[in-house]
Amino acid sequence: MRTGNMAMDVTDLVHPDVAELAALAARIVGLDIAGVDLVAQDISKPMKAQGAAIVEVNAGPGLLMHLKPASGSPRPVGQAIAAHLFDENSEPRIPVVGIIGQENTTGTSHLIAWLLHLQGLQTGLSSAKGLFLGQRCLQAQSGMEWESAQRLLINRSVQAAVFETTARHLLAEGLPYDRCQVGVITSMPKAAGLEDLYIQSDEQMPNVVRTQMDVVLSQGMAVLNAEDDEVANLAQYCDGEVTYFASSEDHPRIVQHRSENGRVVFWRKNHLVLAQGPQEIEALNRHLPAIDKLFKNQHLNCTEVLAACASAWALGIQTDLIRAGIKSFGQSPGAH
Amino acid sequence: MEVSRIRALRGPNLWSRQTSIEAIVSCEPQERAMIPGNEFEKQLRRIFPAVGPLEGSRPGEPASMAHALEKITLSLQNQAGCQVTFSRTTATEEEGIYQVVVQYTEEAVGRLALSWAEKLCQAVQLQSTFDLNQALSELRDLDEDVRLGPSTGSIVDAAVLKGIPYRRLTEGSMVQFGWGSKQRRIQAAETDTTSAIAESIAQDKDLTKSLLLAAGVPVPIGRPAKDLEDAWQIAQNIGLPVVVKPQDGNQGKGVTVNIVDRDLFNQAYETAVRYGEVLVEKFLPGSDYRLLVVGNKLVAAARREPPLVVGDGNHTVKELVDKVNADPRRGDGHSTSLTKIKFDDIAIGRLKLQDLEPNSVPEKGRRVILRNNANLSTGGTATDVTDDVHAEVAARVVAAAQMVGVDICGVDVVCESVLKPLEEQNGGVVEVNAAPGLRMHISPSFGKGRNVGKAVIDHMFPNGDNGRIPIIAVTGTNGKTTTVRLTAHLLKANHLRVGMTNTDGVYVNGRQIDDGDCSGPRSARNVLMHPDVDAAVFETARGGLLREGLAFDRCQVAIVTNMGSGDHLGLNYITTLEDLSVLKRVIVLNVAPDGMAVLNAADPQVAMMANMCPGNVTFFALDPHQPVLATHRAQGKRVVYTENGNIVAQQGKKSFRIPLSDVPLTRQGQIGFQTENVLAAVAAAWAVNVPWENIAQGLSTFISDIQGVPGRFNVFDYKGATLIADYGHNPDAIQALVHAVDNMPAQKRVVVISGAGDRRDQDIRDQTQILGTAFDEVILYQDACQRGRSDGEVIQLLREGLAGAARTTHVQDIQGEFNAIDTALARLSAGDLCLILIDQVEAALAYIQGKVNETQLTPSK
Repeated sequence: MRTGNMAMDVTDLVHPDVAELAALAARIVGLDIAGVDLVAQDISKPMKAQGAAIVEVNAGPGLLMHLKPASGSPRPVGQAIAAHLFDENSEPRIPVVGIIGQENTTGTSHLIAWLLHLQGLQTGLSSAKGLFLGQRCLQAQSGMEWESAQRLLINRSVQAAVFETTARHLLAEGLPYDRCQVGVITSMPKAAGLEDLYIQSDEQMPNVVRTQMDVVLSQGMAVLNAEDDEVANLAQYCDGEVTYFASSEDHPRIVQHRSENGRVVFWRKNHLVLAQGPQEIEALNRHLPAIDKLFKNQHLNCTEVLAACASAWALGIQTDLIRAGIKSFGQSPGAH
Repeated sequence: MEVSRIRALRGPNLWSRQTSIEAIVSCEPQERAMIPGNEFEKQLRRIFPAVGPLEGSRPGEPASMAHALEKITLSLQNQAGCQVTFSRTTATEEEGIYQVVVQYTEEAVGRLALSWAEKLCQAVQLQSTFDLNQALSELRDLDEDVRLGPSTGSIVDAAVLKGIPYRRLTEGSMVQFGWGSKQRRIQAAETDTTSAIAESIAQDKDLTKSLLLAAGVPVPIGRPAKDLEDAWQIAQNIGLPVVVKPQDGNQGKGVTVNIVDRDLFNQAYETAVRYGEVLVEKFLPGSDYRLLVVGNKLVAAARREPPLVVGDGNHTVKELVDKVNADPRRGDGHSTSLTKIKFDDIAIGRLKLQDLEPNSVPEKGRRVILRNNANLSTGGTATDVTDDVHAEVAARVVAAAQMVGVDICGVDVVCESVLKPLEEQNGGVVEVNAAPGLRMHISPSFGKGRNVGKAVIDHMFPNGDNGRIPIIAVTGTNGKTTTVRLTAHLLKANHLRVGMTNTDGVYVNGRQIDDGDCSGPRSARNVLMHPDVDAAVFETARGGLLREGLAFDRCQVAIVTNMGSGDHLGLNYITTLEDLSVLKRVIVLNVAPDGMAVLNAADPQVAMMANMCPGNVTFFALDPHQPVLATHRAQGKRVVYTENGNIVAQQGKKSFRIPLSDVPLTRQGQIGFQTENVLAAVAAAWAVNVPWENIAQGLSTFISDIQGVPGRFNVFDYKGATLIADYGHNPDAIQALVHAVDNMPAQKRVVVISGAGDRRDQDIRDQTQILGTAFDEVILYQDACQRGRSDGEVIQLLREGLAGAARTTHVQDIQGEFNAIDTALARLSAGDLCLILIDQVEAALAYIQGKVNETQLTPSK
């Protein structure tokens, strides 16, 4: 600015004709954000009559004079720019699923990623087995490290992401994302081996693991193991809704949650059932040859399938795609 | 011979569709009809044998020096490498004066060629010397300098093939494609959607690498160094060999590859640090490849080699380089597929690194590299490998482009071979370049050339779009401005943002953006550049057409309202009605093949233009039985006419009617010339598919007042008398006004008229002759500007026209337009009618409006 920091806010005085011509100038140059310099006797009057003129159109304009004018009211121009980039209808977040637990986390995360992939989304996966993009393995080790995992979220092509994590990674580096759509806890991790991170006893663990619940979005879903009391108790920290899973529909927490119209997932003999209130869907029969083979070869177990189905349900994946996806899990060449 | 008034015709023009230089050339008597049979021709051929045959304007006629000038200008351009073919010389009706027209591809080159041609003619005449090589090399250099470079040129060529109009915005490589709201821009191989942020990312090699790594694209590991020691430490960690290069760089400046020891490393660091922060990374084995991505597709790939010579055991390095440079395919600039190897300090430095000097004789078979980068501009070579690229390699390269976010980029890959995936051979992407050079793909040193310009254009204009908005061009002797305004109004009723030019100004979407006479190509070009214009309506007056040609290569609709007996005849070598017709029909000649000419069937000169139209024709006329119109209708083609108080638009059995009573401009159809304007505008709106309900609605809301169409039949009420202000200023316009006035009841009729001095005597006399049959009183006044006539001369001519007038009983001379208006008003009583033929349109209308307002403010006692 020619006169030093002597910017006076005149936004409310600008004549519509002046505003229209300034916007036209930006369009002519082809800029979406521009600082238009104009010289006028009186900004509240039309340009032509007073011989006013646009003298310069600047790309990448400084915003300070609007945020902190020497006089007049500051203008939330950052907000205007953010609103220009993401209008009310656009969703700047992609679906993110976070998974933590003592065991069963790797199979669960791979199965969720596979279902998202079948849904037609370019899916990133960070797991104990490495870093994956769609069907492709980008690296076969240290996939859960923050440095690796965050690669998924800066990749423009990624449409959904699944992050397996451990208590160690959580304590040492934090999660690679700020909020998630679905947070899954399969079981309460143990304290053993975390002494270097000032964890001495298992009692400290719920306080560590609750982070996975704290980051669930208010319109998101917690997927919790109903059979682990410590895990189930973390539901209180979730801003969104809760789905409980258990090996049987008779577990008191399942019965209770279902009576409150919450979502529950459980095995009824050989059938995996998704239920909410009185409604239920049989998603899977474990005696199907393909499923049977998966379990026999220990590619998946009952808990992993429960947690993954609950998550897929929360992500809006149709039951028939879930069923087909589990049947075909691990069969596509190059996949996981 | 004297050459005067040189013009550049920058669009389709009177002579041809080509951009051309036009000059007025006067020849002395001995210079006319001088070829053949003159020493001049022999001498000319001795100096410039390539001049070609010299012929007169018709076969068998002798040629003048003007004809020689024409052919020399054309041939000089041809010899300098410009592809031009059209030229023409026409004798004017003035003895010894010729119009010489020669096509150009670059205006500056055309002008220079003309001036050299003039010098050559003089040299031949004076039998002095002429340095032809000097002339040709100047022309060649200028052409190389001003014409588009190969990258931009290939994109423009592809656009032209697809029918997309283009316009250079700068002398550099900034080009606009398409018009108005459909325009796009490029600068070389950057487009208006190439993101500035993506370009910043591509410039930052370290950031690019980390993003590519995130996207799973293989990249050489490494990082920026703080100083030399840090750099060496990085090299040690990565493991030799390494590459050292500046963090932000281009065209391979400061890059050293395959560094294997500390000494070389130190030198490389010193070279790189001159360009900024230094990056050390793993050296990838293999060749340099450049893969071009446009949109989300790989469109071309080339393997690049640095400039090198191969030893033969006999010659020195210097001699070997000279031998390679002797290859005629190697040029100096950016235009050829190979460039000469530069033998400079950098090359000598590179030789030193190979333990060689310029005079060393390398053993047979030894490859001697003269530069450490493979750019064509420093003598490198490019071999097309597009067909070899493995699908996995293409996928990685496209992922790299999308990760960085550039829509057009050159991705540099280093690998042993593009035939197999990068991951299998430790290959990787080393750089992503925004605004890549296209020359290595268009004309590679070896292998097949690729039409990458087409890929860029297909990316910018998908689905066969050609970037055009409908253009409606309007010309004629009378009614142009009203027709332009009404047509624009009808398009607006169709919710289009309309750009309009006419003699009153330039309007975009209702806002006036310029004033004055804007009926020339400059104003039209401004409208076509405006980002908010969905359709354009241009009044196309003769002046601009003669001066510069059209502002567009073709139009969707051309309207010719009428020719009548012409106007402004005798100016600029447009002498006869036929001349004028040839000029006005230029817009009809340049109708798009799927476009429409809207022609007045009742005007023979206009109706004849139908044969010249490359598109379809709609005829209009007031009379449904007008023979030309009736025939056209019988053939099932489009016609617009009036019948039983309706406007009828008809094609075959389908017709649409709008009652004239719903079209206020026509005053129930009483004002014939306005009705004709309406018919033309309706035909034009129909031609660009405006729905009938919108046309009808538009016609009902169009009012010819001084805001709507100033100076065109503006009607006022003055103390019970009717005032009509009009800018009519030629016999046809006045005849039309008389017809209109005849339909309006009045006790006494008064007319106020002046004459424009630049019209022919006969045209001035004719005006009052017509008025004398229809008006009781005539007030004559002298124009503000007499345009070359002496005082009183015009008044005298006007008086001559009134001699023996049938109706006129009172004639009076007044000095000044306002005085004349005052005089006429004073003579009016209620029930009278007064036609005021205004001259200073804005001032006179304001004056009349003021007089009318006075009577309304102070009611008469």
